[in-house]
Amino acid sequence: MLKFLIRRLLQGILVVWGVITVMFILRAVSPGDPAVLMAGEGADDEIIQRVREAEGLDEPLLSQYLDYLGSILVGDFGFSWEARSEVTAIVIRRIPATIELAVAATVVALVIAVPLGVISGTRRNEPADYGATLFSLLGISTPNFWLGLMLILVLGVWYGIPYPSIGTSSFSTGSFVVEYPSSIGLGLFDFPTGRREIGFTAAVSAVLFEQSLSELGAWLRHITLPALTLGTYFTALITRLTRSGMIDELGKPYVTSMEAKGLPRILILYKHTLRNTMIPIITVIGLQIGTLAGGAVITETVFNWPGLGLRLIDALNDRDWPVIQGIVIFIAVGFVVINIVVDALYNYLDPQVSES
Amino acid sequence: MTEDILKISDLSTRFFTSEGQVNAVERISLNVGEGEVFGIVGESGSGKSVTALSIVDLVESPGQITSGSIEYRNAELADALEADYPDAVDGEFVDVLSVPESVRRSLRGPSFSMIFQDPESSFNPSVTVGEQIAEAVEVQRRARADPRSTRARTQGVEYSLSGYLTSALLPSKRFVTTESKERAIELLEMVGIPDPVKRAEEYPHQYSGGMLQRAMIAQALAGEPDVLIADEPTTALDVTIQAQVLDILSELQREVGMTILLITHDLGVVARMCDRVGVMYAGEIVEQGTLADIFEENVHPYTAGLLGSVPVLDDVGGRLRPIEGNVPSLLDSEMGGGCYFADRCPKAMEECLRKPRTFDGPGSDDHVSMCYLADHPYEEGEALSDEHFESTGGDDR
Amino acid sequence: MISDRVRSNLRQSFSESLLPKIGLGILVVIVVMTLFAPLLATHDPTDTGHFDPETGSEYPPLGHSYETEVAVDGEFTEVTIESNSTHVLGTNTVGQDVYSRLIYGARVSVIVGLSATLLALLIGVPIGLLAGYYGGRVDDGLMRVADTMLAFPALVLALALIGVFGERPVGIPDPIVMAGFAEGMPATIPIPGTVTIVGALVIWVWFARVARGEAMSLRNAEYVKAARSFGTSHAQILLKHILPNSMTPIIVLATIQVAVIILLEASLAYLGFSGTTLSWGYEIERGQDYLRRRPWVSIFPGIGIMLAVISVNLLGDWFRDALDPNVDQSERGA
Repeated sequence: MLKFLIRRLLQGILVVWGVITVMFILRAVSPGDPAVLMAGEGADDEIIQRVREAEGLDEPLLSQYLDYLGSILVGDFGFSWEARSEVTAIVIRRIPATIELAVAATVVALVIAVPLGVISGTRRNEPADYGATLFSLLGISTPNFWLGLMLILVLGVWYGIPYPSIGTSSFSTGSFVVEYPSSIGLGLFDFPTGRREIGFTAAVSAVLFEQSLSELGAWLRHITLPALTLGTYFTALITRLTRSGMIDELGKPYVTSMEAKGLPRILILYKHTLRNTMIPIITVIGLQIGTLAGGAVITETVFNWPGLGLRLIDALNDRDWPVIQGIVIFIAVGFVVINIVVDALYNYLDPQVSES
Repeated sequence: MTEDILKISDLSTRFFTSEGQVNAVERISLNVGEGEVFGIVGESGSGKSVTALSIVDLVESPGQITSGSIEYRNAELADALEADYPDAVDGEFVDVLSVPESVRRSLRGPSFSMIFQDPESSFNPSVTVGEQIAEAVEVQRRARADPRSTRARTQGVEYSLSGYLTSALLPSKRFVTTESKERAIELLEMVGIPDPVKRAEEYPHQYSGGMLQRAMIAQALAGEPDVLIADEPTTALDVTIQAQVLDILSELQREVGMTILLITHDLGVVARMCDRVGVMYAGEIVEQGTLADIFEENVHPYTAGLLGSVPVLDDVGGRLRPIEGNVPSLLDSEMGGGCYFADRCPKAMEECLRKPRTFDGPGSDDHVSMCYLADHPYEEGEALSDEHFESTGGDDR
Repeated sequence: MISDRVRSNLRQSFSESLLPKIGLGILVVIVVMTLFAPLLATHDPTDTGHFDPETGSEYPPLGHSYETEVAVDGEFTEVTIESNSTHVLGTNTVGQDVYSRLIYGARVSVIVGLSATLLALLIGVPIGLLAGYYGGRVDDGLMRVADTMLAFPALVLALALIGVFGERPVGIPDPIVMAGFAEGMPATIPIPGTVTIVGALVIWVWFARVARGEAMSLRNAEYVKAARSFGTSHAQILLKHILPNSMTPIIVLATIQVAVIILLEASLAYLGFSGTTLSWGYEIERGQDYLRRRPWVSIFPGIGIMLAVISVNLLGDWFRDALDPNVDQSERGA
């Protein structure tokens, strides 16, 4: 097990190195002189030249590359050209919102998908099964930005379900507020968005120390629609996989053998077949974390959710390469780490793999 | 002759497939005495496994038991069910086909238990063997602890999803208790698994085939069943291991006084283990009786053919004579009205085109056969001509 | 390449299940929209300014009306905007015909989806086949590259690549308009060129991986060994034996990837990185600021994307079930 982890970790490091290299190359071949962008508008040639020298941009590419690698090793992703602050700080400030959203979406997906898949797989060709199949087909085929807008439209506008509008949610100690103009509505309408004004940790600490549930309620109201939007593709995919996995597992002889020894159906379903179904699904979830990250970029844009994805779009619009590089590398590292964890989990759950 | 524990009469099980109705088990009747080993023997596809699954109510869709009764003697159960299901109870006997599914479920374990042909696929590969056996112990333990045993066990009172989830999260609320784990280890020891404490913690893939078959026997014994149904228990094993497994079965049978319904295609196993035997062909029991009746006094040409197709070691000169042709398809639309064996039978007569009934055999009182020959001599003059086979399409398929 | 067995499998699962029929039905509609867009559209999709003449407001879809406030002499009065019979699905926020843009949007999605997948096939399959067939260093190198590529979320990689290449549309001349069959329709339509290339660069790895796996298992097949013993060259073996026999899973994968690309194109257009405005994804973005009062602007293009992706997914499922039950769900990518 330890040997496996070390091997997997080395592979992961190799991949991360590859990602850093690709990002460096992309920046190097991208049009535009970084020194000009860095110096800012209206800078004269002398200043640009000084910036170029100070940043080492006049050195050969290889030494720039080695410099870049070296500074990343100590956690320094450089300086944003546009925001005039450290990329590392920008990334760290944006991480919690994205992780909250991703975890909430995964929780939504698992909570809905697994029971749905089990029902669908154990009641084949009944109405519940057709419903679940249709849902999963729609779920994997709907673009999530459109889904997000439709959720806002149907729930917020047509049915008027109370949903936080801009600036109305109160916040207190430790809350995390990012000032962002709403892209939806342009101020013309009082438009509901899922803008995050209260961090999960702040909400939890309010519950613990102030015995106040309102913060948690506000947090839940904020995160529900974005989590549903981001989680739908995942939900649909896991429903599909759970369904076919359950059908496979239930056809196996050990199920008959367990029936014969008198085990209650629910124990067979949940302790044995579902567990065996989930083992391969965990790997798929790991591989699909990339999709989740891509979806997060879109979802954050739709709901103005101040995470890494929204920041990435801003950086792209500004051609702010250090930030683009920092965020993309961070997402890739996250993906690699999650997959190592998933592999370890798979190992732990499937005795036949850990044996060999 | 002991008292019967199981009386099956007119049992039919059919599969309603897209190709048509398949009569897997066709109006079979048999009685199994308490403490005896009853063998059901036949070629593959003769319906013997479906018979076994019918008894434990595990026939899978599109299969369905369509008629008949399976009466099981259990005075306690009969008392408990008398008030609610008077039709199902007859003295000490309960017709398990007339009680609701929940009651039938509750019989699995303490009344009927089953071991299967392929031990490797009959265990969940990702749970330890000890845990799987302990589960079987635990189910019965909990059922006994509850006074309304049959109900509690069957309606899943204790096994709600939330109950399961808490048991997964909190070690102290695990479904399987330490007592059951200990009992599982005892059971493993009973079936001759060396170092059972360590073995209990191992996964099925760490066991050899023979060991796993023993573990399956241990699992089946966990509920202390009255009737153990063994479906081809040795087929998947090496010959030397087969003998060991059979030894364990007969030892247990002697010690515990358990009734065994042994399903096999292997007449060697039958000769070694069984007190009485039923021979199945095309979903019917064509002949049944004591071991001696079947081996010495058989009248059905199929039984004779089956015996003839077994190589006998001390008869070196004797030739192996396989039965010509194949087991017929059991599709209802393709089954004729006469004896199903007629088109392969060397002694088929005109009479065999009519549906045969059961005749008393020449052997013991129990000996019965579904062959006209049991009551009549073979007359060459009435033999079916070859033309008949061609015209009815009763050729080799 | 397509054997009788495959054909009969396809036919059987088609007749047994309703879903492939639905998928094929939607696909036919979308292909017709793509091919005959200039004939089906009622207006030039790029023509702006189709507003209600009195208030300057967008038309709602047929059979609908909505209320809006208009300033008259410095005072706001509420007026009802009725639909206009020439604009079946209404007009958008710059006064373009929503129906015509829906039709033309199919064209963009289909062209990008097919050409990016084709490009990815052309890049990925040869590389994968060579790596799988020769093994060794080439193969190791490919697998490292593949691992690295897969560590990027598809959309994030696409965005980074667009950061490099910019957003360039390519004008494609429309033969129907050139031949004079459709007066007043645009003679060329802009296809997001960089998005096509970027899409291919994002998904080629999946093709390389599948092709590699096939080549690895086929290189030890008896008939390949036999061919080698006759002195057949490596190139011929690859072309005559390995390529045709690895096509089945590649076709299944390609079908699914068309859906992935359609979604990717829509996402990039929505985010404003596709370089063209004639796209379903862009239309949704355009409508979102006015979602409350003019929801049709966003609703219809979204339905367009969804139906296109559903039809391709259903087709992919049909192919997979009929041809190759072994292509894993995890290979879907995205």
